[in-house]
Amino acid sequence: MPKIFIDDRAVEVAEGLTLLQAAESVGIPIPHFCYHPAFPPEGSCRMCLVEIEGLPKLELACSTVVKEGLRVRTMSPKVVEARKSVLEFLLAEHPLDCPICDKAGECKLQDYFEEYGLFKSQFKEAKEKREKKFKLGRNLILDRERCILCTRCVRFLNEITKTEDAGILNRGIHSEVGIFESEFIDNNYSGNLAQICPVGAITDTDFRFKTRVWFLESRESICPLCSRGCNIIMDSHAGYPRTLPTRRVYRVRARQNLDVNFHWICDYGRYGYAYLDEGREDRLVWKKGDRETRLSWDKAAQILSEKIRSLVHLRKNSRIGIVLHTNLTNEELFLADRVFRKGLGVEKLFLADPPPGKGDEFLLTADRTANRRGLQEVGLPVQAPDLKALSGLDLLLIFGHYLAAGTSPSDLKNALEKVETKALFASHKSGLDGLVDFVIPVPVIAEKNGSLTNIDGRVQPFVAGLSFAGDGIAEWRALLDLARELKVEHKYFSRLASPEAIYRALRKEIPFFK
Amino acid sequence: MSSEYSSSLRRKIDEVVARYPKKGAALLPVLHLVQREVGCISPEEERFVAQVLGLKPMKVREVVTFYTMFLRRPVGKYYLQACSNLSCSLLGAGPLLDYLQQKLGIGIGETTADGRFTLSTVECLGACEQAPCLMVNFDYHGQLDREKIDRILESLE
Ligand code: SF4
Ligand code: SF4
Ligand code: FES
Ligand code: FES
Repeated sequence: MPKIFIDDRAVEVAEGLTLLQAAESVGIPIPHFCYHPAFPPEGSCRMCLVEIEGLPKLELACSTVVKEGLRVRTMSPKVVEARKSVLEFLLAEHPLDCPICDKAGECKLQDYFEEYGLFKSQFKEAKEKREKKFKLGRNLILDRERCILCTRCVRFLNEITKTEDAGILNRGIHSEVGIFESEFIDNNYSGNLAQICPVGAITDTDFRFKTRVWFLESRESICPLCSRGCNIIMDSHAGYPRTLPTRRVYRVRARQNLDVNFHWICDYGRYGYAYLDEGREDRLVWKKGDRETRLSWDKAAQILSEKIRSLVHLRKNSRIGIVLHTNLTNEELFLADRVFRKGLGVEKLFLADPPPGKGDEFLLTADRTANRRGLQEVGLPVQAPDLKALSGLDLLLIFGHYLAAGTSPSDLKNALEKVETKALFASHKSGLDGLVDFVIPVPVIAEKNGSLTNIDGRVQPFVAGLSFAGDGIAEWRALLDLARELKVEHKYFSRLASPEAIYRALRKEIPFFK
Repeated sequence: MSSEYSSSLRRKIDEVVARYPKKGAALLPVLHLVQREVGCISPEEERFVAQVLGLKPMKVREVVTFYTMFLRRPVGKYYLQACSNLSCSLLGAGPLLDYLQQKLGIGIGETTADGRFTLSTVECLGACEQAPCLMVNFDYHGQLDREKIDRILESLE
């Protein structure tokens, strides 16, 4: 490991790192535009210049590789002056329209100007006029006046999607990002371009002009829309409750995880966030005939436990059925197994999931649920929910609103009518609502704590990024409450008061989760 | 359409492509061959070249727009490129260019209605010793004045 000196600090860094990476690894950020960790150095923006002792000129930190004994200065007067000059060049042709630019507040150009620029413009000439609303992709608008030609977007399309749909046209002052004729960028990863453009040149029509980034609260989460489990950031207006006709989430962004999704997420996951706020169940109700009564979860838990208890008492365990799905967390699937199968001897465990879609060769998987691998590893024996088996039951607890998909509504209705008590734990409204006795709203992944196991067997914990409002209950808590009411293994379950505690038990009992 | 390109052009392209380890490396010489046959590189030609070399059309477009010698639109029978760089300008290229425009009745970058002449300006033609100068298709004409321009145009008539 070569030893180098950064601003007089002796540091040992890994062989082969560039100065920029080495400095970053010890907490010294070096300003840059064109460098992006996903690509080889480009060396075109000149923002990363640093001083190396013994060399007459400033060098590019992004493309100089560390060498034993190098002495680097990242904040010397020469370096700071160079940064200012680079900014002056970039801003000479820049429209300075931050007040109407979506990127303002998270723009590298703006941030660096505040830090290293702060000069008065010497530019007296009229600026070049360029296209400000060029349609670059399905959701992408290019503002050619704001573009600093860092080519991150072009390299993303060359190296990541390998679709090569964009390039730099012309040369010199006429250079601009372009596409071939009107062959817009249209692939399942196009949304990443707006995220990696360091300035406001590429903006996303899905987000454009909807809010300002400084109003947003950023929370980490896991995308539950397929089994890849990409790491994401949800940007939301924290103060907005779900019940108002406003949305909470304005944007979903990729969060770096080199073991799962690198720096990217797919468009399906990026733009598919409407489900967080739309079509949600928000009232816990008990229906008797045409009458609907609102209920607290505690009351509902008592009624349901009573029914379960009497069936178990009469040794009619076989007339209880549980429908599960694989958007439940590891903890919830584990609890379902412990409470129903191991605790109460319920054998009829069914699985009803959303139908698969089409996977691509990169991140998006055909499986559109988040935790099928978790179900496998927990080892829950589940069967397909055939209507005949369902109709022979006395009590059915249905988790998820997916049972309605794939069966004819009238057949499902006939089957469920024969079941005496049906409770539905669902995050979203569906055709099932009208067929059950209890509707119990539950949170989505973004609103609860727990962990998911992705397609490659990676267990990823997450915490709630959004609050769960309304009178429902998280499934893990509902399962614990039922266990308590039913006095199943009291000592065992009373210790499991949180998803973290449940996970600890899971780790102890199932070697996979070790 | 690509089927319209002559078999001799295709043969020449094959020969050029064979000289390079990677097909894509033959992009510049192939563009020259196509331009010589077709007269310009329009989107259709870009698609054709991309397909022949196994490239995305955008890669071809980047190269075509970078180099000013690739013509993106058809030009007249005679393509006049007047030098507008330093030596020529010092020796009167400016007024001569005005004269050319006025005589042909077109502006820079335009083609006469009869499709005979296209006028453009170029940076240094590399013949400063002959300044001011002009290229007509592939022929150089130097030490220009109004009379010489009249004579050249007449000879082309
Ligand atoms: S559009 Fe953005 S990412 Fe692309 S070259 Fe311009 S500044 Fe860079
Ligand atoms: S690949 Fe899957 S997990 Fe990743 S963003 Fe897309 S849908 Fe979400
Ligand atoms: S980051 Fe080094 S030149 Fe752009
Ligand atoms: S300046 Fe005109 S040929 Fe050199």
